[in-house]
Amino acid sequence: MDVNQAKQEHLLALKVMRLTKPTLFTNLPVTCEERDLPGDLFGQLMKQDPSTIKGAESLMLGEMLTLPQNFGNIFLGETFSSYISVHNDSTQIVKDILVKADLQTSSQRLNLSASNSAVAELKPECCIDDVIHHEVKEIGTHILVCAVSYTTQFGEKLYFRKFFKFQVLKPLDVKTKFYNAESDLSSVTDEVFLEAQIQNITTSPMFMEKVSLEPTIMYNVTELNTVASGDDGESTFGKMSYLQPMDTRQYLYCLKPKAEYAEKAGVIKGVTMIGKLDIVWRTNLGERGRLQTSQLQRMAPGYGDIRLSLEMIPDTVNLEEPFDIVCKITNCSERTMDLVVEMCNTRSIHWCGISGRQLGKLSPGASLLLPLTIFSSVQGLQSISGLRLTDTFLKRTYEYDDIAQNGPTVELCTSYLTLFAS
Amino acid sequence: MDAREAPSQRPDTLDITMEDGSNAASAGDSLEAPSNLVPFKDNILPQEESIDLGGAEFATPHEDSSATPSESLMDRLNDQMMESVMISDSPNNSEEEDVAPMDSFLDGGEDLKPAREDEGKEGSQEQPFNQLQAVFSGTDDPFATALSLSEVDRRHDAWLPSEETRKVLISVATQQYSPAYVESSRLTMPGLKFDNLQVDAVKDLMLRFLGEQAAMKRQVLTANSVEQSVIGLKQLVSSKNWRAAVDLTGRLLTAHGQGYGKAGQPTSHTTDSLQLWFVRLALFTKLNLFQNAELEFEPFGNLDQPDLYYEYYPTVYPGKRGSMVPFSMRLLHAELPQYLAKPQEALDRLHHLETICLAILDNLEKGLAEDGSMVTLTQENRQASLKLWRSRLGRVMYSMANCLLLMKDYILAVETYHSIIQYEPQQRVQLLSGIGRIFLQIGDVKMAERYFQDVEKGCQKGGPVTNTTCVLMNRAFVYLSQNNYTEAHATFLEVLKIDPKNPVANNNAAVCLLYLGRLKESLGQLEGLVQQDPTSYLHESVLFNLTTMYELESSRSTQKKQALLEAVACREGDSFNTQCLKLA
Repeated sequence: MDVNQAKQEHLLALKVMRLTKPTLFTNLPVTCEERDLPGDLFGQLMKQDPSTIKGAESLMLGEMLTLPQNFGNIFLGETFSSYISVHNDSTQIVKDILVKADLQTSSQRLNLSASNSAVAELKPECCIDDVIHHEVKEIGTHILVCAVSYTTQFGEKLYFRKFFKFQVLKPLDVKTKFYNAESDLSSVTDEVFLEAQIQNITTSPMFMEKVSLEPTIMYNVTELNTVASGDDGESTFGKMSYLQPMDTRQYLYCLKPKAEYAEKAGVIKGVTMIGKLDIVWRTNLGERGRLQTSQLQRMAPGYGDIRLSLEMIPDTVNLEEPFDIVCKITNCSERTMDLVVEMCNTRSIHWCGISGRQLGKLSPGASLLLPLTIFSSVQGLQSISGLRLTDTFLKRTYEYDDIAQNGPTVELCTSYLTLFAS
Repeated sequence: MDAREAPSQRPDTLDITMEDGSNAASAGDSLEAPSNLVPFKDNILPQEESIDLGGAEFATPHEDSSATPSESLMDRLNDQMMESVMISDSPNNSEEEDVAPMDSFLDGGEDLKPAREDEGKEGSQEQPFNQLQAVFSGTDDPFATALSLSEVDRRHDAWLPSEETRKVLISVATQQYSPAYVESSRLTMPGLKFDNLQVDAVKDLMLRFLGEQAAMKRQVLTANSVEQSVIGLKQLVSSKNWRAAVDLTGRLLTAHGQGYGKAGQPTSHTTDSLQLWFVRLALFTKLNLFQNAELEFEPFGNLDQPDLYYEYYPTVYPGKRGSMVPFSMRLLHAELPQYLAKPQEALDRLHHLETICLAILDNLEKGLAEDGSMVTLTQENRQASLKLWRSRLGRVMYSMANCLLLMKDYILAVETYHSIIQYEPQQRVQLLSGIGRIFLQIGDVKMAERYFQDVEKGCQKGGPVTNTTCVLMNRAFVYLSQNNYTEAHATFLEVLKIDPKNPVANNNAAVCLLYLGRLKESLGQLEGLVQQDPTSYLHESVLFNLTTMYELESSRSTQKKQALLEAVACREGDSFNTQCLKLA
C-alpha cells in the first residue's frame, strides 16, 4: 500500500483534536471609583464584557468554557479522548468512506473506532465525525494511526493514513513500607501496617478521590485515613483535599490475617501477597485517572529459628518486688530442638529461678510456655533482657535482649514492653 | 528487518525513545533502596517498591511496517495533532520592549489644552501657586466653603502615612509657604517611558490578509481624532481604543511636565495629574502590558511619598488633608506584581492595604476621624465613611482572593472569597458559585456540589431570574465534570429558555456539542450567534472556540477566519486581542 501522501492530493481531509476537558475563562478586573477620572467607565466596560460574572465583575474565575488550545500532557490511567473529523474538501461526492483509528503502543495495537462500517457517501463540505475514548494503560510512546479509505465518483479507490505521536507519562510515584506489629498479648494474630506514600509527579494539582487497599483473601483491611466525626469521617488530611505538584501524601492501612490463616501467619516465611492499592484521582473539571499497583509483597518477619514472645506481663510493678511473666517459645524452624534456658541479670533486671535448666524437646511449629519470675531494682521504664536459649542439637545460642524486640522485625511503640517500677 | 526481541524484557531497542523510561518497573525489578522517612531501628530492612502499574510483559512488536527502522514511518510521523498552536493565556506583546524616543508630535501644531488652568505649571516646588488662590478669592470665607466640600473629600482621601512621611508633612505644615527640604529620593518624579503605542493589531492583520484597500477602510478613533482633554480620553476608553487612550494620556501628562524623558526631574503633583497617571497605568494593565505599567509605576515608590499628600501643598490645597493618590491606583499598584510572576509581592502589598483599611474602620468605629484625629463626625458622615471603607476593604479582599487563585493556593483563595460575603452580602450567590467552580477545577466534585447546594438553598422561589440561571449553570458544570455532556448540554439549553440571549449559556452549549461529536451543529450555532449579535459574541473566549473549531473542520479555515477578521474590523477598537483569530 502506497502511503506516499506528498504526491497525492486527497479529496478528504482528516483532522484530529485531543479533547481534554475545557477550561474556564478568567478575567483581569480593573476597577475604579465614581470619583475617579473614568467615572463609571471601567465598571461599564466590565459589565458589558460577556465573560464577567454579572453582579460580581471582580470575580476572576468566569463561567465561559474555552476549548483546549494545545495537546497538554497525558498520564497513565487517564482517558485519552479525541475528536476525529473527516471532511470532504472537494466539490465531488465521495463514496464508501471507511475511517479507522488505531492506537499503537510498543506492545500492542488497539482498534478505537466506534463503528467499523463504511459510510456510503459524503457530499462536499460535509464531514464524518467520531469521538474516541481510550483508557491509557501503558507508559511511553503511543501512536494514533488514522486511516481513511474512499472511492471517488470516478471509481478510483484511494487511501491515506496519518500518524499522531504522543507520550504517556507517569503521574504518581508510590512507595510502600510495611510495619509488623508484635502479636497482641491477648491474641495470636499479627497485624501488618502498610504505609503507602503517594507523590504527585504531574504539573497540576490532583484531587485524590479514592485510595484503597484491596487485600488478598488472607487478610482483612482497616483503612486508617479518616477521623471519625459524625456520619462522614473527616479525612486525616483535613482541608488539604488535593495534592499540589510534587507533594506527597501518606496513607495508612492495617491488615489483619483472617482467623483461618492466623496460626499460619506466625510461622509463615518468605514472601506473601498482601493486596493491591487502588488509586482514583481527578483533575481539571473532573478529568479522571485510575491506577492499580501490582500485588504488594511482604517479606514475612524472620523470627529466625526460635520465636520468643510474651504471653503475660503486668504493666506496672513495685520496686524490688518479684513478679511473674510468661514467655511463649515457638520453634519456627524445620527441625526438632532441644532447648536449655539461661538467665543473665542486668543492671536493672534480676531473674529468680534456676538458670541453665532444660526445657525439653520442641518439634517444628510447636510452642511451649515458660513461666519466669523477675524483679527490678531500678525505677522507671525498663526492658527485659538477659534470656538465652541454647539448642543443644546444633549447639547454637539465641540471645534475647529487650525482649519486645526480636530479630529483624520492626515494632510499634505500643508493643514495647512497658514496665514501670515505682 | 525482524525486530523481534526476547520476551519479558523492556523493549529499549525500539527506535522510539521513552521519555520516562526509568520507572516503568516490571515485576522482576529489585527493590529500591529505602529513603529515610520514618525512624526505625538500624537492623531492620524496610521494604519499598515502585509500583508496577499493571504493565504487561512487553510482547514482540507488531508486524506492521511501523516497527521497521530507517526507512520507517517514524520519519514520516506527523507530530502535530491538529497543527496545535500553543496559545498562551496572556498575549505577549512585543511592543512592551519598544522604547522609541518620543516623536515630537507636539511640533505638529497640535493645540494641547491642559485639563485645568492651574496645572500647566512646570517648575520647582518653591513657587507658590497663585492661580489656585484665585479660585477662593471670590467668596468671603474660603474656609467655610472648603469645609462643605471637604466631608466627601476627606473620607475618600483619608490615608495613614508612614512615620517618616508624617514627619515631613508636619514640618511642611509648620512652615507655611516653603516646604522643608526633602531629599529627592523621597519625592515622586515620574515621566513617560513609552510612547506612541498606537499600533492597531487589527489593521496590521487586515493588511496582511485582506489587502491594503480593505485595511484603509478601517476606522478607529485615534488620539488625534478626539478633543485633547479628559472628554476625548473618555471617548477613547469607552470605544475600546485603549492604545489611543494611552497615547492621549501621554500627551496630557506631557502638558503637566511629566512627559517622555522627564522621569527623575523635579515636578509637582495635583489630583488631576495623578488621575491621568492612574488611567494610563490602568489601561496598560487592561492591555496586558504589565511591564510597561511596572516601569512607569516605579517613580511612585510605594505611593506613600510626602509630595503625594495634600499637606505638602498648603498654598494650593489649603486646609486639605489626605492622600492625592486615588484608592484605585493603590489597588492597581498592589495587584500588578502578580501579573509579572511575583504574586507574593502582590499579596504583601494587598495585605498592607487591608491593614490600613482595617485601621481606618477601627478609628471610625471608635468615634474618631478616619486618620485617627479627634474630629467629631456627624452620624450621617460616619455612616457614609464606614460604608465607603467597608466596600474598599471588600475590593481589596477580592484582589487578594484573585491573587491566591492565580498562585493556585486554592484553600486560602476559597477562605478569602468566603469572607468577602460579609462585606458584599448581595454577591453571596456569585461568590459561593465561584468557590464551587474552584473545587471543580481542583477535581473535588463532591465539595463543589456541596457549595452549589448551599447556593440553591439560599435562592428562594420567586427571587431574581439571575439566581435561577446561576443554579442551572452550576448544575450544568457538575454534569460536565461527570462526563455527562448530554445532560450538561440540556441544562445549558434550560438556561436559554429563561434567558435566550445569555452569551455564556450559548457558548457553553456549543462547546458541549463538540464533545458529543456534533461539530457542524456546534459551528453553526456559534457562527449564527456571532453574526446576529456581534456585540456579545465578538469576544476573545468565543472567538478562540470558533477558530479552534474552524481548524478542526477543514484545512481551509483561513477564509473563515478572515471573515471573522472583517467582522472584528468594523466593530472593535484598537485594544482587541487578535490572537484569538489564530491568523498569525
